[in-house]
Amino acid sequence: MDYIKQKTPPVREDRLRACNAFGGTCCDLVGASRSGCLYGLKRAFAQTYTCQLGLSLAILNTLRDAVIIIHGPIGCGGSNIANAGLAKNLQRLRDPRARGLIWLSTNLTEIDAIRGGEDKLKEAIWYAEREFRPRAIIIVNSCVPALIGDDIDGLVEGLQKEVSATIVPVHCPGFKAKIMASAYDAVYHGALRNLVKAPAYYDRVLPDDLEELKEKYSRSRTVNLLNVSSMSRQDELELTRLLQALDLKVNLLPCYAHPDSFEDATEAALSVSICPTHDDYFIGHLQAKYGIPFILRTIPLGIKHTSAWLLDIARFFGLEKEAQQLIAEETRQLQEALAPYRQVLQGKRAFIGGGEIRVGATAALLQELGMEVLGLRIYHYDHFADEIYDELNGKETMVVNVATSQPFEQANLLAKLKPDIYLGHVGLNGWAAKQGIPVCPVYGVNNLYMGYAGMFEIARRLVRILKNPSFNRNLAAHTRLPYFAKWYQENPFAYIDNNVLTGNK
Amino acid sequence: MDAIPLTRNFLVNNQLRWHGMTTGIIERPRFLCALGGALSTLNALPGAVPIIHASSGCGGNIYQAYNGGAGYLGSGYCGGLALPSSNVYEEEIVFGGENRLAEQIANTLKVVDGELYFVVTGCMTEMIGDDARAVASRFRDQGLPVLVADTGGFRGNSYQGYDIILQTLFRDFVARTSCQENKTLNLWGIVPGQDVFWKGNLQSLKTLLGNLGYQVNTFFGEGETLANLQNAARATLNIVVSDTYGIGAAKVFAEVHGVPYISVPLPIGPTATGQFLRTVGATLEIASKFVERLIRIEEDRYYSYYERLADIYNDIDLQRYAIVLGDANYAPALARFLADDLGWLPELAVVTDILDEHDRELVRQRFQDFQSGIQPRVVFDSNASRVAGYLNEYWLRNRGQRYYDALSPAFVLGSIYDRDLAETLGAAHLSVTFPVTNRIVLDRSYAGYSGGLRLTEDILSVLVAGR
Repeated sequence: MDYIKQKTPPVREDRLRACNAFGGTCCDLVGASRSGCLYGLKRAFAQTYTCQLGLSLAILNTLRDAVIIIHGPIGCGGSNIANAGLAKNLQRLRDPRARGLIWLSTNLTEIDAIRGGEDKLKEAIWYAEREFRPRAIIIVNSCVPALIGDDIDGLVEGLQKEVSATIVPVHCPGFKAKIMASAYDAVYHGALRNLVKAPAYYDRVLPDDLEELKEKYSRSRTVNLLNVSSMSRQDELELTRLLQALDLKVNLLPCYAHPDSFEDATEAALSVSICPTHDDYFIGHLQAKYGIPFILRTIPLGIKHTSAWLLDIARFFGLEKEAQQLIAEETRQLQEALAPYRQVLQGKRAFIGGGEIRVGATAALLQELGMEVLGLRIYHYDHFADEIYDELNGKETMVVNVATSQPFEQANLLAKLKPDIYLGHVGLNGWAAKQGIPVCPVYGVNNLYMGYAGMFEIARRLVRILKNPSFNRNLAAHTRLPYFAKWYQENPFAYIDNNVLTGNK
Repeated sequence: MDAIPLTRNFLVNNQLRWHGMTTGIIERPRFLCALGGALSTLNALPGAVPIIHASSGCGGNIYQAYNGGAGYLGSGYCGGLALPSSNVYEEEIVFGGENRLAEQIANTLKVVDGELYFVVTGCMTEMIGDDARAVASRFRDQGLPVLVADTGGFRGNSYQGYDIILQTLFRDFVARTSCQENKTLNLWGIVPGQDVFWKGNLQSLKTLLGNLGYQVNTFFGEGETLANLQNAARATLNIVVSDTYGIGAAKVFAEVHGVPYISVPLPIGPTATGQFLRTVGATLEIASKFVERLIRIEEDRYYSYYERLADIYNDIDLQRYAIVLGDANYAPALARFLADDLGWLPELAVVTDILDEHDRELVRQRFQDFQSGIQPRVVFDSNASRVAGYLNEYWLRNRGQRYYDALSPAFVLGSIYDRDLAETLGAAHLSVTFPVTNRIVLDRSYAGYSGGLRLTEDILSVLVAGR
């Protein structure tokens, strides 16, 4: 993989032929994906979601010692407003001196849209440099400058010589990508072009063979653990604990990392993803350019996927036997602890929504707990998820709806399937709640979900939530969703445009 | 409908300077774009269903901003990720998005249950020249309730979006009538979302004017209906609770329906609310004896609670220096409340809006007639980190002297952004102006008499939280 000579990365619908409009069974989904017939991207009725700029910010906002410049009209990146307070607290879990989230808007007006926004961008870069002296200044490029053709890379090239912060352009104009996850590639593209580089070393004045050997050994045991902004510090600690049990060292990035961590990334022995949707672009390039092999298969959620994830890593280091031993002991303790929760959860019917990898693994986790999974909603789908979905029990009847948000399809499905519990994503949980269904968020930046400890926490959480569903039940009795009653009688996928001629545009 | 003249905003961007730097760029803005204000306004309007003609991310982004920033405003009836949106992409940008919009409107009418559908546009569809107005009018001509406004983000900020929506409603939705109801008023100027306490505030003011014997339409408050809005031209007076928000709409209302308006400041606490009632009373030619009686009753009630503070306020000395940060409505209103009712010392007030010189002067005036004689220093700046700089200019730093008149004890009354400032100053802090992410706000109101009591409770509770 080598796209980094280009200024902008390709979008996912082109690079991976990802799809975000599908309705059918899990079996149909995997079949269509494997035969290359999954291409839906269009609806005749649609609801808003987030653009790749918004999702890019989800990662970029976490970076420490960086200032973000949103190059666009004043509203672009406004979602930062909601994160202003939280971002600082989360950064400070990693570094008590972290400054928190600082961003600038170039506030492009209609006149700027005519005469170009480069002057304002330059002004913003100087403002960031002078007021905050950050390690990195990240320019997030929105629709308007992309359409009028502001030459951001040219401007940065000229200005970088005068500015001490490393300037990182991230090209993520919303209108360019239907698949929101293109954001991850946009962010990594910017990082690969500007932050990732082999650190400079100088020869020792006094040679010290032992010290050099130690360093070499340390590097041969270091893995890049690629986190995601939707995971918590507790998740990171759980995964680190498991890797440390195999005597591995962990370099965590990209989320909440210091920009310098990207330099360290070129020295690791292995890159480990916890989500192929998130990382394939980055680790593909790390391998191509710096020769760092990678593991990119699944997310460590539930016993099966955590163990598979751990075994993949151990195999690389020749530690398979040790890992088996660790897994056996971890599983034994966990199974014992889960016993009372299984009794409550046995046979409970769940519906899950979120990103493709997390949703697939969460479905497997719930099945491990003895629950029935009625249906899944996933933001988009591509071949990375085929294996996970192919291995789910009951895939022949399990309903899958590929949709970026689109709560009207969800409302229709939930009304028909009537699950006992819904596990969903921020922004969609509230709609399920109004249908009276108990809700457990499918991720949380303050809660543990991953690894063995995470599975226990999920089980405990589900049982707690099911114990008193009054809040949502009351909501359902007193509020209504905005759809006509007749919508619930229709096919939930009625507005997906599968026309081969228009549907894949 | 004409959109708000763009030039006003542009002049501001190009002319305002702070220490030689234009304020075109903004560090951590406290508002969104015109589309943002349009959507927060429409989501507050009962029965209204917005249809966004824009890129896929506009609606979701705006929802996230207002949900978090406005004390967890939530999606409401058909907001959040349920917002119908044409989600235009590169093909539409190249070939035009009008067909996609027509398809989206037609299908929204089939799926989403609303009384009024309102098409709002984003930057991209305006830049490529889509004629949303023409598309919407095809539906309107069939008698379907579809309105449209150009709200491209680059037209201005949320406050302008609010004004654009009101202008459209007043021009295209409010029925023309010759029938006047002289006991009916309309009241606006409190921007849903941007005023985190909008719904409570509207309710307080409605109740207050109700006590003067008037029926008040607030359009967005409790129990409001689209029918009230449609009949709003029967009112005898429009009250705009702002010097700057919704003024354009008031002018349109006067021009189209002949109803005059007055512009009054947001009243918080007994001093400002008394003045509010007197101004409205005088405009409506209500006997001053009647108004004064109402004020006396309300003040008696207010002080029956304040009396209880006599002990704690004076036992542990609860007077504070204060720094106030907020928009053109809140900054003067909060500073006046602190100075005139709570007996504090608001030293610095930062007005965080983008305003032209005319509007700045109006806002400055609001700081000049405090009953207590206190006069805060007023600055206009939208950049979040600049406040410390103003303080350094105004309040001399300790240069190692043994006896130093510190700005302490101090209180920062602003937004969540200003928690950092409070931390730096060692001051207490309460978020009351947008964005407020560290509080849940439902029907709380800071307007009027009872609003003054709520604000007193909230502020002083911060100071006794460690006890």
